[in-house]
Amino acid sequence: MATESGTTLAGGTVVHTGPAVDAAPRLRPVARAGTAGAVPQAHAVADASDRGARLVAVGIALAWHLAVSLPAVLAAGPGMAAPAVVAAGWLVTALVGVATGVRLLGGGLPPARRLAAVLLAVDAAVFAAAGERFLFTTANWVWGGLAWFFLLVLWQRPVRWLLALLAAHATIALVAVVLHGTTAPADLSRYAMYVYGTSTLPVAVFAGAAALTALARDRAGTAAATLAVAAEREAAERARSERQARLALVSGTAEEVLAALATGDADPADPAVRRRAVLAAARLRRLIAESDDVPDPLLHELRAAADLAERNGLPIELVAVGTPPELPVDVRRALADPLTAALAGARGAARLTVVAGPDEVVVSLVTPDHDGPDDPLPPTDGDGPVAYLHERDGEIRWTQTRWRQA
Amino acid sequence: MDADPLAAGVNAGQPVGVAIVDDHPVVIDGVRAWLSSEPRLRVLATGDDPDTVLRAAPGAEVVLLDLRLHGRMVLDKLAELSAAGRRVVVYSEHTDPQTMLAALDAGAVAFLAKHEGREHCVATVLAAASDRPYVPPALAGAMVGDARPDRPSLSDKEREALLLWFQSMSKASVARRMQISEHTVKQYVDRARIKYTRAGRPAATKAALLARAIEDGLVRPEEIGIYRSQASADRPTP
Repeated sequence: MATESGTTLAGGTVVHTGPAVDAAPRLRPVARAGTAGAVPQAHAVADASDRGARLVAVGIALAWHLAVSLPAVLAAGPGMAAPAVVAAGWLVTALVGVATGVRLLGGGLPPARRLAAVLLAVDAAVFAAAGERFLFTTANWVWGGLAWFFLLVLWQRPVRWLLALLAAHATIALVAVVLHGTTAPADLSRYAMYVYGTSTLPVAVFAGAAALTALARDRAGTAAATLAVAAEREAAERARSERQARLALVSGTAEEVLAALATGDADPADPAVRRRAVLAAARLRRLIAESDDVPDPLLHELRAAADLAERNGLPIELVAVGTPPELPVDVRRALADPLTAALAGARGAARLTVVAGPDEVVVSLVTPDHDGPDDPLPPTDGDGPVAYLHERDGEIRWTQTRWRQA
Repeated sequence: MDADPLAAGVNAGQPVGVAIVDDHPVVIDGVRAWLSSEPRLRVLATGDDPDTVLRAAPGAEVVLLDLRLHGRMVLDKLAELSAAGRRVVVYSEHTDPQTMLAALDAGAVAFLAKHEGREHCVATVLAAASDRPYVPPALAGAMVGDARPDRPSLSDKEREALLLWFQSMSKASVARRMQISEHTVKQYVDRARIKYTRAGRPAATKAALLARAIEDGLVRPEEIGIYRSQASADRPTP
């Protein structure tokens, strides 16, 4: 602590009690860009994986329908109880399969309930129309082939929906078996085997696809988070290195002064030396006070102007109390511009203060009065929301702008 | 700068005993040097522990307390001393408004920013010794920017005086600007400070400040407690 008070100390001390805003506004966009790039990338990976699974499911269903069901129906032909109904069912199912496939491969989902109802209706009709002779043959194509279409229409729905649909399927089959009178123990065990055989594979594929999709999304999410963290760290490191570079610059200046004082090359009584010391100390304290960062544009502007004035050798104190509300650009300009203009003409030392509340912001610059020309005159519109005041009383020059919520 | 010598209406002849508590010897030496140039003050004891220092100088009328001792904010110790009636002037480099207001709430007689210099320091200690308020510019800034919902209600003139004092650090300039006397500027500022004795928990030091303010005619007894009504009655008391 210096024992010299009065103007030297008053000018040289830099207290900054309000939020500093230097690094944050510049760095936020970097972090945001990094994260924004990562998320779609990761989603693309997940989507590609899901698309592959859809393609496989559509392929299995249609291939089975064409290569297994169709030849069997054609071979059985007129021997069935109602071949026309069986054929119509096949056609309807083919249409459902194609429509669903188109929808799935386009990235959408089919209307599950309605299509499931259509498929169950086809199921019952074909079971009835195939007749007792063809009940356990491939010509009763719904038994083995329809489950694949269940898979398509229920894509990405909960697996219990598929289980329910398969249970309905098994019930229809059981009713058909009973109504056709094929209830010998051998028939019932065949029934059980059929149900088991036709259900397990679709369930496995369905659950597998769901698990794969979940896994891919998970991994994609992890990748996105990792990228975001990396981007944030990069931004923080950049801020830190920037601040360190400035600190190095400032401490260099301070060290020079201290070294000169220590070796006796500089005389503490010399006003020039004192001024150098004051400037170096002011810069150092400002930098130290910069640790907190709320990106307030008004404080940011004032801080930039203060930095500039300080670089030109003016010891400047910037004290901010409170956080300014969000202000329209013209109000902010009307608040800051007269001060930055006055700062350009300041001599000796300057005290810049901001007192901000939700409905009032007052910015003030006080500098020692001097004989130089008066500061540039402010905007003439006296009716704006920002009141301007400038006066000099021989002791100080006082510039103040004040915004009040209308 | 307007360190008001009038604030020092202390018991004539007998210098005020001061204890300094700080964990940096260089600061103690600096402050001691400041105070030693003032014949009305005498430093009785110094050290980095409040209890030890006060055992050495039980008669100290004012304690200058660094708010941060050995890396810890000692607001609790401040409250304890204030409750016991010790006049504590906090001086600290932690000049964020929250800290300053917290120190007032805890019962500090005054808050002095370490950079505020000799005149403010001497004036603050002298005022504190006679239970009178002294508001250095940094504290004025904290008070005028106080946005806490339970803040004391200040009159327009009191707020304006605080604001301009904070901005200019010159009571003469504030007086010219407000077209009132310097004495009246000080009254507005001090009255605002007295209203803060009602904030936070009660402390003996706050009661003493308030009692002295009534005695001095700075506030009227009937005004105490219903500060909201004062917006209309903010003319300076004679």
